[in-house]
Amino acid sequence: MSRFDADAIVVGAGPAGSCAALALARAGKNVILVERGPFAGSKNMYGGVVYPRILDELVPNWWETAPVQRWVVRRSTMILADDNAFTIDYRTPSWGRPPYNGATAYRPDFDHWLSRQAVAAGATLVTSTTVTGLLRDPAGRVNGVRTDRPDGDLSAPIVIACDGVNSFLAKEAGLYTATDAANFTVGVKETLALPRSVIEERFGVRDDHGVDIEILGGTSGVNGGGFIYTNLETVSLGVVLKLPKLTAQSKRPEEIIAGLKRHPAIAPLIEGATVQEYSAHVIPEAGLSMMPTMVTDGMLVAGDAAALCLAAGIWLEGVNFAMASGMYAGRAAAAAIDQGDVSAKGLAGYTKLLEESFVLADHRKLKDIPGLVLSDRVQQKYPGFVTSVIERVFRVDNPNPKPGLRRIVREERKRAGIKLGDLLRDGWKGMRGFG
Amino acid sequence: MNAVPALIAVVPVRDGILPAGGLESISEARGIALLIGSDCPAAVESARGVARRVFTVEATDQSPAILGRVAAEAIRRSLPDHSVVVPASPDGRDLAPHLALALGRPLHSGAIEIRADEVRLARQGGLAIAPVRVEGPFVATLQPGIRGVDFVADTTLEHAPLSISAPTTGHSVVSVEVRPPDASTMDLAEAPRIVGGGAGLDSDARFAMLAEVAASLDASMGVTRVITDRGWATHERQIGTTGVVVDPRLYIAFGISGAVQHTSGLGQPAHIISVNTDPHCPMMQMADLAIVADANEVLVALAHEVTPVSPS
Amino acid sequence: MIAVCLKWVQPHGAADDRFAGISAADQSALELALRTAEARGDEVLAVTVGPVGAERALRDALACGATRAVRIATEPGVSSLRTATALAAEVDAADVVWCGDYSADRGSGSVPAFLAARLGIDQALGLIDIEINGNGSHIRAVRRLDGGRREVLSVTGRAVLSVEGSTARLRRAPLRSVITADAASITVRPLESPDISAADLVPYRPRARVLPAPASANALDRVRALTDTGAAPSRTETVVLEPAAAARRILDALRDWGYLT
Ligand SMILES: Cc1cc2nc3c(=O)[nH]c(=O)nc-3n(C[C@H](O)[C@H](O)[C@H](O)COP(=O)(O)OP(=O)(O)OC[C@H]3O[C@@H](n4cnc5c(N)ncnc54)[C@H](O)[C@@H]3O)c2cc1C
Ligand SMILES: Cc1cc2nc3c(=O)[nH]c(=O)nc-3n(C[C@H](O)[C@H](O)[C@H](O)COP(=O)(O)OP(=O)(O)OC[C@H]3O[C@@H](n4cnc5c(N)ncnc54)[C@H](O)[C@@H]3O)c2cc1C
Ligand SMILES: Nc1ncnc2c1ncn2[C@@H]1O[C@H](COP(=O)(O)O)[C@@H](O)[C@H]1O
Repeated sequence: MSRFDADAIVVGAGPAGSCAALALARAGKNVILVERGPFAGSKNMYGGVVYPRILDELVPNWWETAPVQRWVVRRSTMILADDNAFTIDYRTPSWGRPPYNGATAYRPDFDHWLSRQAVAAGATLVTSTTVTGLLRDPAGRVNGVRTDRPDGDLSAPIVIACDGVNSFLAKEAGLYTATDAANFTVGVKETLALPRSVIEERFGVRDDHGVDIEILGGTSGVNGGGFIYTNLETVSLGVVLKLPKLTAQSKRPEEIIAGLKRHPAIAPLIEGATVQEYSAHVIPEAGLSMMPTMVTDGMLVAGDAAALCLAAGIWLEGVNFAMASGMYAGRAAAAAIDQGDVSAKGLAGYTKLLEESFVLADHRKLKDIPGLVLSDRVQQKYPGFVTSVIERVFRVDNPNPKPGLRRIVREERKRAGIKLGDLLRDGWKGMRGFG
Repeated sequence: MNAVPALIAVVPVRDGILPAGGLESISEARGIALLIGSDCPAAVESARGVARRVFTVEATDQSPAILGRVAAEAIRRSLPDHSVVVPASPDGRDLAPHLALALGRPLHSGAIEIRADEVRLARQGGLAIAPVRVEGPFVATLQPGIRGVDFVADTTLEHAPLSISAPTTGHSVVSVEVRPPDASTMDLAEAPRIVGGGAGLDSDARFAMLAEVAASLDASMGVTRVITDRGWATHERQIGTTGVVVDPRLYIAFGISGAVQHTSGLGQPAHIISVNTDPHCPMMQMADLAIVADANEVLVALAHEVTPVSPS
Repeated sequence: MIAVCLKWVQPHGAADDRFAGISAADQSALELALRTAEARGDEVLAVTVGPVGAERALRDALACGATRAVRIATEPGVSSLRTATALAAEVDAADVVWCGDYSADRGSGSVPAFLAARLGIDQALGLIDIEINGNGSHIRAVRRLDGGRREVLSVTGRAVLSVEGSTARLRRAPLRSVITADAASITVRPLESPDISAADLVPYRPRARVLPAPASANALDRVRALTDTGAAPSRTETVVLEPAAAARRILDALRDWGYLT
């Protein structure tokens, strides 16, 4: 390399950045991965479940070395109303065997492990270094970054921004048109310590098997959702809340978590647990509608920085989207370097790879779901409606005869103040939306 | 026969003053001591009631290397089979490695107790103990403030001055002056009530709050070394071996783990309250009232309780 | 030449290097070594006795401006004397050797004194304030004594100096140096006859203390004084409380014990 310090610079060693660096290093490129924390993952948080299928391409048999807490063999969806709950529960031992489906993991462990894969493949990881700006050539093309270290400019024909939600690099490059608080949710999580045997007993799992519970309702009237994931000796419990609603109702997230923890369906699961950690983070939630332009001359954006997280209250998949988009960005960058064209045109292969894979396909397919799940009706009216229907179906009210499902639904719908038309429309949207 | 190894305390003396932990080391050695330094006779007087048998060496050159060699020679001439205990005061720490080398013995530094077959050493900043097996005579440094002093009434004191000459050499490190503790230090050292804060308190601002709460309880504020290292309080506020040695009647600890280097400077408070999220840490074990809670929040609540609400 | 001794500490063992590093005291020592060398127009040698992971400390030192780095290869747990002896062989040409006051794990603070003994030069240990004159020929240092006293020392020749963590803030390494230090060469030498003794650690428990003998002449009064629970409470009461309740509990206790009315 004559003019440049490296072939490519990747900013941020989260799942997106490490996979981008890994793909570039595998392609024989000289890549520098810059991370602001003292080690990859040191400052990163999330709910707790990774779906690492995409890693099959980058790290074959990743499950042999990845730092996993528990393999998810059981997924539940809970609908919570005032003091009652309706749960749909699925479990299969097959997810507890290679090649596995999903796993709970701690981000400081997982991200660190992933960054070591990139370093092992030849990437240079520079930690405790914050990128503070972009460098451009006279023609305005991005060709490096500025950092907070003395003598801190680094040059490369390609910069990949993987700096997470609210990416200031993508904004500085002018790739976002507008950012609206309505596009974000805030995630708040408590890590609750319990003895291993207690977790296994309460959640009905053994060995290194675990549970993933998504929750609708129970967020004190603020639109959002909740989750509970089991780790080996802790349980992650959190809520994801729509920002404008949260500020409008002037409720504090910790009050909402406390409320969820008091719910009769949740309290017995976490009784006696001690809070080990409390953390909060913003999530890009609006999917397709908020995504930036993915490439510009000399630069690509991946992961949360490109708003690729799939998050809609009860949906929380971001790490897999980050890993995949990072990998595709790395591959597209390597190809562009080989072609000798690192302009937006030369990098267009990236967008194509995203389109052809689940990354954008899933977002397309589910594009109406976030809006639907977080809509006032789904949030405020349906949970109570569903649980009271279920309650009446199962209630034995002898000597009265059973009322019949149709009548219960009609009466409960009226009581909840839901118009039949709205219910049908939402049902149809949901059917179509989930594809 | 007593199974505990025969001990002699080697205590460095500056201008007749015994260092922190000097009397405790002499107690640990059951009254047998070698005082070495300047104006030893005055130091012998202050050891009365604790020491039974004292050797002294007046040293002209006080550099640790020379003191170590002279002390080794004094031990060879007096009690050559005895193991040595040195107070882990700054001067004691300086001396002990040189003494161990001159005697050709192992050094066990930071002991909290010397038992028949093992020396128990404080490790990991005082949060753990490493028991080390004893084989043959050794040199150990003893953490000041952890054992207390046995005062024995009506003992006779046997004093044997030794004269050992040492070659005087030029030095590249020279003592210019010893400064007495300054006023703010004295303030803490003599305070009857102390409110202490440690790493469990999360910010600089908390210590301003801590000082306020302390003031309203008529107490002084003390901190741990972690806090002075962070620059959240001056060194004069640091309680412990390398800070100020205090002796309050009441001690309230917020977010302090109770490492031996801290508690050894604490004297013997009649009452200790500890607020900590970890019920098992040493400070909680020492406390009369141990409250498991977030110290930051308790401090806020306490500030609220003790500061009169101003009329709006 | 100026030397600095850096101790690599792995609080979570060799398998997890995320929280491994050198202590704040060693960082101060490195910064002061760099400053002394700058004043004198001299070189800085960074030395560690430790496992291969410790090379990261040396690379960081090189990135900050150290000229040369040596690792004496061994596993953790080597005795202070053995460590100091190995260090001495490496730094025997140094004019000033900077060390941390205490290492974070063993924390005996004895390596610097052993090192001075092995080198046959003077020492100034446990320093809390350092002034280096313009050409680096004279260092004025303040050392902590007990009871809040301070000793001012003047250093004019070869010496081993050990400093506390708050004496100097380590500079940020320039970015390019960080990257090149990744590939910098480090001299590795074996440690002959390491005497590794990994003592098992047990949790710290305070030792029972000797209470001062009661002053009274009357035997019954003496017994009372020793056993009076009001004067020497011995039982720990442990309670889990919400913040507001905890604050009230503290004030109640202070009232019970007569500190507040
Ligand atoms: C509460 C919550 C729960 C979630 N639950 C899940 C879940 O269960 N499963 C799931 O798959 N996803 C979940 N997500 C989403 C997931 O966390 C994100 O989508 C994912 O982390 C995105 O990865 P990334 O690499 O793009 O960004 P990040 O993980 O945010 O990484 C960005 C990296 O860049 C670094 N960085 C930032 N700025 C700079 C700079 N200027 N210079 C240098 N470095 C910089 C950061 O330190 C960080 O290491 C959740 C998110 C939240 C908030
Ligand atoms: C030779 C030597 C000399 C030393 N001299 C001194 C000295 O003079 N004085 C001194 O103080 N230290 C000294 N030290 C340092 C000493 O070893 C300890 O490291 C120090 O005392 C620990 O301070 P700490 O209790 O504040 O911090 P830590 O040991 O880190 O303890 C913090 C405590 O806070 C608790 N905590 C955390 N979060 C919360 C929360 N939210 N609410 C409530 N509690 C919480 C934790 O459970 C823990 O118990 C010396 C060390 C050495 C090696
Ligand atoms: N293994 C080691 N390698 C290099 N320097 C060391 C080592 N052990 C101790 N030191 C130095 O000696 C100082 C005091 O350490 P210790 O005597 O272990 O408390 C440290 O701060 C280092 O400067």
